Formats: sequence, C-alpha cells, structure tokens
Amino acid sequence: MAEHATHDQHAEVHESHGTGFYWMVGAILAIITTIEVAIFLVKDAIGNELFLVILFVLSIAKGAGVVMFFMHLRGDARIFQFVFIVPLIFAVTMCLGFLTIFSNHVGIAG
Amino acid sequence: MSATSHAHHDEAGQAPLVGSLGVDSRKLGLWAFIGSETLFFTALITTHLIFYARTKAELTASGMFAHLDPKHFLGINLTSVLAAILLASSLTMVLALAASKAKEWQKFRFWLLATIILGSSFVLGQAYEFTHLYEEGLKLAPQFVFEGETVKSLFGVTFFTMTGFHGLHVTLGVVWLIAVYFKVRKFAASPENPMDVELVGLYWHFVDLVWVAIFTLIYLI
Repeated sequence: MAEHATHDQHAEVHESHGTGFYWMVGAILAIITTIEVAIFLVKDAIGNELFLVILFVLSIAKGAGVVMFFMHLRGDARIFQFVFIVPLIFAVTMCLGFLTIFSNHVGIAG
Repeated sequence: MSATSHAHHDEAGQAPLVGSLGVDSRKLGLWAFIGSETLFFTALITTHLIFYARTKAELTASGMFAHLDPKHFLGINLTSVLAAILLASSLTMVLALAASKAKEWQKFRFWLLATIILGSSFVLGQAYEFTHLYEEGLKLAPQFVFEGETVKSLFGVTFFTMTGFHGLHVTLGVVWLIAVYFKVRKFAASPENPMDVELVGLYWHFVDLVWVAIFTLIYLI
C-alpha cells in the first residue's frame, strides 16, 4: 500500500517547463485571441458557418492550451484529469442536449 | 497509521498532504471543486444561450432587440480588452508559480503583484460594462420598461447572473491572490508556499478558462 502510494506520488509530479515556454504559450494564446476578434470583424465576408467553425476550433485550442500548459493537467496525475474531464464531458453533453431541446421553440420549450 | 504519515518530503522540502490516492489532498479537492464549477458555469451559459435565442426571436421584429443586445451598443472592444487582460494574468500567474518553485521570491512577488493588478483591472472593467449596460436599458429583472414599452424577457437576468458570477469568482480570486502574497511575504521559509501558489494558480486559470468560453459563446457568436 505504501509502495503504491509512493508510486502514485511520483505520477503527481507534473512536467516542468522553463519561463520561456510559458511566454511562448502566452504569445500563441494572444495570437489566437487576436484572430478570434479579427474573424468576428469580417464575419459577414466569410459567412456565418465558416465563422462558427473557425471560432470553435480556436476557442477549443485556447482552452486546451490553458488547461494543459498553464494548469499543468498534461502530465499530471490521472486522478486530476479524471475529476476535471468527466464533469467537463457531462457539462458539454448537457449544454448540447438542452440547446437542441430548446432550439426553434420546439419540444418542452415550445 | 494514516497514509499522510507516509508522505515523503519532496525535492522542494514540502510535506504534501498525501491521501490514499497518492496525491496531495488539497490539490485533489481543488480539482474536484473546479469540476463542479465547470458544471455550474455550463448551466448558467446554457440558460443564457436559450433565453438569448428566445429574446432575439421575440424582439427582433419590433427592432427592440438591437437596443438590448450588449454586442450592438457596446461592441466587443471592451470585452476583447478584458479577455486580453485575463489571458495576460494567466501568464503572470504561471510565471509566479515557476518563480515560487525556483525560490526566486523577488520575481515571485513581481509576477503575483502583476496578476493582482491585472485581475483588479478586469473587475473594474466589468463594473464599467455593467454600469453602461444598465444605463442603456438592460436590467436585472424579468420585466422592465424600455423606451416606454414593457419588455418581458429573462435575457437581462441570465446575462447579469452569468457574467456577474464570473466577476464574483474573479473578485474572490483577487482576494485569494492578495492573501497568498502576504502569507508568502510573512512566512517566506514555509515549505507549503509553492503548493499554496499552485492552488490559487489553478483557481485563477480556471476563471480565465470560463472567460474564454463566455467571450466566445456570449460576445462573439
């Protein structure tokens, strides 16, 4: 038991990065934010569907960057990943489900 | 004998509160809290998106919606600046954590102070936004009078509740950051300092993460 605990303890030691790496991640996230605002400004020119696709891809990339590198979830103990990712999956499922149910004033939202 | 008593001191001289899962109990508790907060904010965002669509459908024909939609009369300039501020604060926070682990306390204080200032700027910016929106006619009420007409909509309620709760989380985060700043300054030799900074850092990055979602789903779409 004690050996098991010690083994898992090593798993908790997450990847260590230098400050240069964090500056690089910060710069990439800033560029993504700038692109998000830029495509919002040219939304009419590129079309709503393309705008939404690009926006979602960029936002997911930005969120993943914050979680993986700033919150150090990448490479951290599996239990931390579990207690965050499982509720996140529930949350996204709930959001998509309710938006579908309530869309166009149909179903229980009518 | 409890599992905690088996905990080994790590390289930084810390004595982590290791539970039966083999990880620091405080960190596990905070991740569990963040998991629950994810569900909480998703519920608020989902509710707002539903009422946004309903309000838009009901008020667009009368031309009133354009006056109630924050994007139309506030633009995205302010919220873009707020997004940049919070993103920058996440960077300064992780730099503060790196400095605390390296025991570079002068650098740590600089980056944590920068995080506190950026976080406070965000709260002030949001207070300005709320004041402006309220004066323009968006109210925290299910029914209000706008330009002589009675408007029945939960749009304002869901908007202020969602963004208000986020602002409250940022405010509490700033208070926590200030507490950690003074704690580390007073007890500079405490082996618990890096974990204290890591915990507040996790919380701070989470409020940034929530703003990433709100900025995209509420202000840009």
